Amino acid sequence: MDGVTSMTEMTAMKSPDTTSRTWGSRLVAVLPLIVLVVLLAVVTMRQPSFLDIRSLQSLSISLAPILLLGIGQTFVVLTGGIDLSNAALTSLGTVLLAMWLPHFGFGAAVLMIGSLTFLGFLSGWVSATAQIPTFIVTLGAMGLWGGVGMVLTGASTVQIGDSYKAIAWVRDTLILQVPMPAVISVCLVFLVAALMSTLSSGRKFHAIGLAEQAVLMSGGSTFRLRCAAFALSGLFAGLAALVLTASQFSGAPHLADSLLLPVIAAIVVGGTAITGGSGGPIRTLVGASIVVVLRVGMNAVGVDTAYEQIVYGAVIILAVAVTIDRARIRVVK
Amino acid sequence: MNTSASDDVSEPVNAEIEQPLLRVENLTKRFPGVVALDDVTMEVRPHEVVGLIGENGAGKSTLLNILSGLYAQDSGTLKVNGMQVTFKGPRDAAQAGIGMVHQEQSLINAVSVAENILLGIEAQSLTAGWYRWSSLNTRAQEQLDKIGSKISPTALVNTLTFAEKQMVEVAKALAVEEEYAGQPVIVLDEPTSVLESDDLETLFAEIDRLRKVASIVFVSHRLDEVLRVSDRVYVMKDGRCVAERDPKTVHIDDLYRLMVGKESSGQFYREDSQVAVRDAAPVLVTKGLTKEGCFVDVDLEVRPGEVLGIAGVQGSGREELSRVLFGADSYDAGQIWLSGKRKRFSSPFGAVRAGIGYVPIERRIEGVAQGMSVRENVLLADCRAVSRGPFLVPRLVNEMVHEWVSKLNIKTPNLDADVVNLSGGNQQKVILAKWLSSPRVKVLILDHPTRGLDVGAKEDVYSLIRELCERDMAIILLGDTLEEVISLSHRVVVMRDGSISASFEAAPGSKPMPVDLIKWMV
Repeated sequence: MDGVTSMTEMTAMKSPDTTSRTWGSRLVAVLPLIVLVVLLAVVTMRQPSFLDIRSLQSLSISLAPILLLGIGQTFVVLTGGIDLSNAALTSLGTVLLAMWLPHFGFGAAVLMIGSLTFLGFLSGWVSATAQIPTFIVTLGAMGLWGGVGMVLTGASTVQIGDSYKAIAWVRDTLILQVPMPAVISVCLVFLVAALMSTLSSGRKFHAIGLAEQAVLMSGGSTFRLRCAAFALSGLFAGLAALVLTASQFSGAPHLADSLLLPVIAAIVVGGTAITGGSGGPIRTLVGASIVVVLRVGMNAVGVDTAYEQIVYGAVIILAVAVTIDRARIRVVK
Repeated sequence: MNTSASDDVSEPVNAEIEQPLLRVENLTKRFPGVVALDDVTMEVRPHEVVGLIGENGAGKSTLLNILSGLYAQDSGTLKVNGMQVTFKGPRDAAQAGIGMVHQEQSLINAVSVAENILLGIEAQSLTAGWYRWSSLNTRAQEQLDKIGSKISPTALVNTLTFAEKQMVEVAKALAVEEEYAGQPVIVLDEPTSVLESDDLETLFAEIDRLRKVASIVFVSHRLDEVLRVSDRVYVMKDGRCVAERDPKTVHIDDLYRLMVGKESSGQFYREDSQVAVRDAAPVLVTKGLTKEGCFVDVDLEVRPGEVLGIAGVQGSGREELSRVLFGADSYDAGQIWLSGKRKRFSSPFGAVRAGIGYVPIERRIEGVAQGMSVRENVLLADCRAVSRGPFLVPRLVNEMVHEWVSKLNIKTPNLDADVVNLSGGNQQKVILAKWLSSPRVKVLILDHPTRGLDVGAKEDVYSLIRELCERDMAIILLGDTLEEVISLSHRVVVMRDGSISASFEAAPGSKPMPVDLIKWMV
């Protein structure tokens, strides 16, 4: 009967631990919002014109590609992986779109998004089949897609001529004064979040991030899920490429490369655990907003753009240090 | 002398002429939900071979881990040469003259015998961080000479046979003498489990020679071997030391009886509610199933409503077999038939879709998804019953999970509680709910379903198994103890060294005796 008493003691001891953990996870959920509000307040005080409609419109236009890439990256990060290639894939997408637009019109966008989805899937398939860590596969893919873009374009920018009309609406349409790219990306955030909570397989990405072995031993196909996460990352890279091409009038082999750091920063700042399992697109929305306000805000207060990447790099490390779930890491090890 | 089970302990064979080399007194160690060691008192005298026997889970490993400094006891004392000692780590144990030869060999393969033997105590053979090989090899040779071994100190470990490696381990264990002036105690943990008979003879000869320089604790579940080499035998059961016997006078059947226990436990296992199996076609059949190095030519049949117990010691291949049936591991030859159709699962993905469920022994890693809620864990395997198309219906989900939580008496504050905060027994019930809530599961493989559970949770699991039989579930059971397997099963197959050595009918009222099974296990 000794066993029974020690069991009760253990449950009793565990309850304060439970409360502290939920407290911790609540803080991780709320903290980014607080940061965003504080940041907005500080920037607005320094530069009241920040809240002008034109300034907010340009803010939302720079938000869109980061957010789109962020949604895609969120799937991969939730599974416990990382996709270092999705910014490079977006660059390749802008090249493909710029080259195909004269031939296929808007069909080129569909074709490009389809191709990028497939290329994303390839990364997932390789890492799941050959059991290679995702950061290695996608580090290789990052160089690879950049190189393919360079070869296709002869290392130059592909200007879009008259065929631009086919995608001009992406940039020019305003819905209730909000630019189309921002509308699309924010709607997608809520669509993905809604599907994740209502689909029967919606929480599977979280599940393999938390307990891959348990999912596998419950008959889940971790292989398919990994491939799906990367295919989705490719799909959203395609959407980002469409938005970027439309706003730049051109495609270039390294056009989107500098987005890699802000996108990962957006995810971790939003509170999605880099080790997988917790978080989601709404957190990425908050994180992406912080990153963009930070960028525009630094501009507004006169910080040299050269400092941007320094800030993103530091922010990533800091945010992971704050959000990482040490309790779980200890258990998983 | 032995306080834990006074009636069963005969007078010590050798009255205290000499100070015991090593003595543990009233040692107790608890883990969450179990008492692994319960007031154990034992001693090892100079130049003595002490046998230590007991079933899996009897507390042998816990005792050895305390002796080697890996665990600290909750209460009780360790005495070396009459002096009380406290071990903060394996190094302290070595300095007190206790050397371990672990069950899984722990040598470093790519380096020489000498380096292995002196690992951790190479300091006096170092000059500014560089090995002085002559000194290293001489010191290693000294250790090898003690056991009269012909192995060269310069040989690479990966060129040795398994038995030779075992000798190197013994020599390494003996090297504790270098740091400890007195006579060492060498603990051999299941040293014979992987040896061929020739190697066995060598090992026994070595043990005889070893006796001149050390005392030995010989841990094994092969009783004949223990009786052959030991001067004294301790029997452990359920964390207690239940008997001390003289191998010259004790009969092997007495030891079996002491190991397995004698009290009738039919009540505990709900034997009265065991229902005879209907005459139906078997749902799961294997023919000549073989996995190289694990099991060979296994033929099994399980019918709906039947519990098929698989008994066997560690290394018998039954764990591997259960994983193969679930598609978690691959097999090399043979066939698996499910409901009359030949199946080949490359992963659990296919097995689950075909209707096989698996409750793994690694509950915390493979069983529950830690970090996810009770609700999500129950839905993990199959949520079609509570879905409409690709969407979950929250109302149906909550009804279904509530139903299983109350049916299995799962103690959780709410359905959103992280499963990691539940006790082991309740986690196990969540895993069971995961499979039972799936209408397609026809075969359930239970790999040590009650390991680490407290008595109450065990009883709940037993009752559930009975209920499942009435609902025509076919169950394959790998139990924690022999009693458990025999009492719960309709039929028990015994595995030894990877093949089925015997099969027993275990209908209610005519259960085989554990002793009969053990004969086929070892």
